[in-house]
Amino acid sequence: MHDGAGQGEPPIPVAVDLTSCDREPIHVPGAIQPHGLLFAFTEGDLRTVSVSANLPDLLGIRPDDLVGRPIDAAFDADSHARLRAVLRQTEGTAGTPVAMQFRAGGDAGLDGVVHRNDGLVLLELEPRGPESEGAHAFFRRTSGAIRRLQAARTLTDACAAAAREVRNITGFDRVKIYRFASDFSGEVIAESRDEAIESFLGLHFPPSDIPAQARALYTLNPIRIIPDIDYRPALMVPNRHPTTGRPIDLSFAVLRSVSPIHLEYMRNMGIRGTMSISILRGDRLWGLIACHNRLPRHVGHDARQACEMVAQVLAWQIGVMEEDAVTRHSLKGKAIQRRLLGDMEQMRDHRAGLIGNSEALLDLMGASGLCLYGRDAVTTIGRTPSIAAIERLVDWAIRADGAELFQTDRLPTLLPEATAYADVASGVLAVPLSRSPPRRVMLWFRPEVTQTVRWGGNPEKPVEREPNGGRLQPRKSFAAWTEESRGRAVPWQPHEIVAAVELRELVIDVILRKAEELESVNTQLARSNEELESFAYVASHDLKEPLRHIEAFAGLLGETIRQTGDARLDAMVGGIESSSRRLRNLINDLAEFSRLGRHAQPLAPASLGEIAQEVMADLRQRIEEARATVRCEALPTVLCDRNQMRQVLQNLLSNALKYRHPERPCEIRIFAQVENGKPHREVGTDAFVRVFVADNGIGFDPKYAEQVFEPFQRLHGPDEYEGSGIGLAICRKIIQRHGGKVGVETAPNEGATFWFSLPLPAGQDGAEQV
Amino acid sequence: MSRDVALPTILVAEDHNHDKFILTEVFSRAGIRADLRFVNDGEQMLDYLYRRGPFAAPGAAIMPTLVLLDLNMPRLDGRKVIRILRADETLRHLPVIALSTSESPKHITEAYAIGINAYLVKPANIPDYVAKVSSLWDFWMRTASLPTVDVKP
Repeated sequence: MHDGAGQGEPPIPVAVDLTSCDREPIHVPGAIQPHGLLFAFTEGDLRTVSVSANLPDLLGIRPDDLVGRPIDAAFDADSHARLRAVLRQTEGTAGTPVAMQFRAGGDAGLDGVVHRNDGLVLLELEPRGPESEGAHAFFRRTSGAIRRLQAARTLTDACAAAAREVRNITGFDRVKIYRFASDFSGEVIAESRDEAIESFLGLHFPPSDIPAQARALYTLNPIRIIPDIDYRPALMVPNRHPTTGRPIDLSFAVLRSVSPIHLEYMRNMGIRGTMSISILRGDRLWGLIACHNRLPRHVGHDARQACEMVAQVLAWQIGVMEEDAVTRHSLKGKAIQRRLLGDMEQMRDHRAGLIGNSEALLDLMGASGLCLYGRDAVTTIGRTPSIAAIERLVDWAIRADGAELFQTDRLPTLLPEATAYADVASGVLAVPLSRSPPRRVMLWFRPEVTQTVRWGGNPEKPVEREPNGGRLQPRKSFAAWTEESRGRAVPWQPHEIVAAVELRELVIDVILRKAEELESVNTQLARSNEELESFAYVASHDLKEPLRHIEAFAGLLGETIRQTGDARLDAMVGGIESSSRRLRNLINDLAEFSRLGRHAQPLAPASLGEIAQEVMADLRQRIEEARATVRCEALPTVLCDRNQMRQVLQNLLSNALKYRHPERPCEIRIFAQVENGKPHREVGTDAFVRVFVADNGIGFDPKYAEQVFEPFQRLHGPDEYEGSGIGLAICRKIIQRHGGKVGVETAPNEGATFWFSLPLPAGQDGAEQV
Repeated sequence: MSRDVALPTILVAEDHNHDKFILTEVFSRAGIRADLRFVNDGEQMLDYLYRRGPFAAPGAAIMPTLVLLDLNMPRLDGRKVIRILRADETLRHLPVIALSTSESPKHITEAYAIGINAYLVKPANIPDYVAKVSSLWDFWMRTASLPTVDVKP
């Protein structure tokens, strides 16, 4: 809809473009519509400065007869007195009604509206029409309309009722309620029309259709009428301000002539008579009641007053309903919060709680997509961009401190790659759920606004009328609006953002509480672990003393018995000796195992190659005894506790020697490979290396691959192979402490390849030469 | 215990009866002839060396040639006893050999630092124990020259 009720500057080029509206100086019209008269007086002595050129049509005298003369030359004394009284009580550009009567006129009075502008007093006059009614009739009609309007329960109902009432009052073919969005684009949200005329319900219009200066005038001047768009403009005579010499400023005149562009637009719609009434919420232009007629239509003063009152009541209704909507939204938000809190507590998981309430969360925020984003998991509900796109969006939108809320209704203009998914996420509201990394973010998405807009008519319907107006047609406006709205979503309302922030506080509270619980459990666990280790250590220490005595007495006894030559007694005492020796080994291993966690050194870079060489030197005698070939390939520098790492390699190499195959030469290979694994955030490094100790020994059934790393688990009897079965458990404990893993690949008689993984120091991802 | 005046006196501070028995056996199996005198803890050892309490009677405490001292004893710990001995000019010349079950390098170094003359880890294995005590005896009683008790430095 084009309603740039502007002026009639001298001839306008035919090839008009709506954007030229913004540049038109519509506040300095030089002419008025001819259904009324306009007088300009000097302030104070009310001398006539200028009169519209249609004066002869209404009064039979020429402007020259009045210009320069006092007001009494045109109006009777009572009118003069009323005008002065009004002027004493008012100031500024707002119009005030005043009844006027020509001095030489007949019986018919005039409906006058007076205002001041640019140092002049401007009096507009319209002949009092024959339809003018008494105050009683006016009241009855208006109060009925207002009562029906107030019965409406929803915004849409109220607007539809207002459209109906205005149409009843005025008899226009079409009355529509037009609402401005925050960007001043507009939408027809209600309509009352003659069935023979096209519906505009649901149409959207770009902001340029009602340019800024027109909107400013509508705020000051709540009602405009163009009884006949084919009128001949009546120029002001003379069109010259007596002191400034500029054209007379008719910005606030109801009668002022209209922009030819606007007239062209109406003509293209097949409209010949129009009226529009501002819907004002305070100083804000909320919308318009726009009336169209296929034939010229004049609406008298009383009817216009009635329409203005309908608009005021509607504005009041809208205010109540908007506040009501915010209140209801807030209540709904609170209800969802309560349910969410219950669910999160019950499920002991904020994520599960949020997912369980995702529909309500979508509904509350008027969004079509929701994403719960975390480093460990990403959950999407409804229509959202791809997870990869969301990850990049989160990185871009949420600052490192993670505390800021991010919202936009036009993401593609801020983030170019978002153009690709503008259809699902032109609007984004991102709420961080943690104040520090790892990041957790809840994101709502709104589609491109054109995706949600319902086309009132059939968008495929061919334009019925294609006059030479080109762009100046409602459906072309709609197309222009559609184009302008690319990559834009319905804006997030302040109360919606408040609801999101409240949800965030709620979830953060729950997360923090869970974190505290977890921390307390961890502390308890760590304490009991420590106690267990210290118990094991002390126990092993105290066990050693009596064991040493047993060994010693058995030794003494054994020596004595051996002198007697009694083989049976010798065997018995030998049993005591070997059992106590084995028990001592077990106790020693247990002590060592429990000591691992207690005397750990901080991790530092150390060359595995050097460590391996030391271990091989330590075990040289056993390597020689086993006639083994040990080949050590390039090993990297790793973050480790050097002594513990040495113990790991020593245990693995010892095992490889111990479990060699009796029928083939023992060959052992130590080598490393860099892992292409996922980043390991706990250790703060990205690269891992896997170190292998591969032998060609007896191997074992891979079903024991896990079991061999458990403490005191053995696959062989103590008579076959010595050892307590703690060596691999110690290896696993050490490697776990380093943030790595251990494992083995093996088969009976096929040898065994034990491996462990370790973090590489930052920036290193390859093996060094040994 | 032999009362043969020719036998060197070895004072052993050892709280555990089993250890006393085992040590006696080990000395015996090593073929060492010595006058082994046992005390149960550090306090008794000081009583012995200062000839007081139960050792006040004349002849009840013969000044030892060597002291074998368990470092972990009840009441007065072996380390404190060494400090007291080393602070006393009439006793500081006494050779003291620590007996311990600990192989910890820290414990060994600490013991030398407070003035012991040798550190001996008690073996559990009897042949080992016998071998150790034999070589200890050979060194202290046959190889080394020991201070004379009655000569003041």
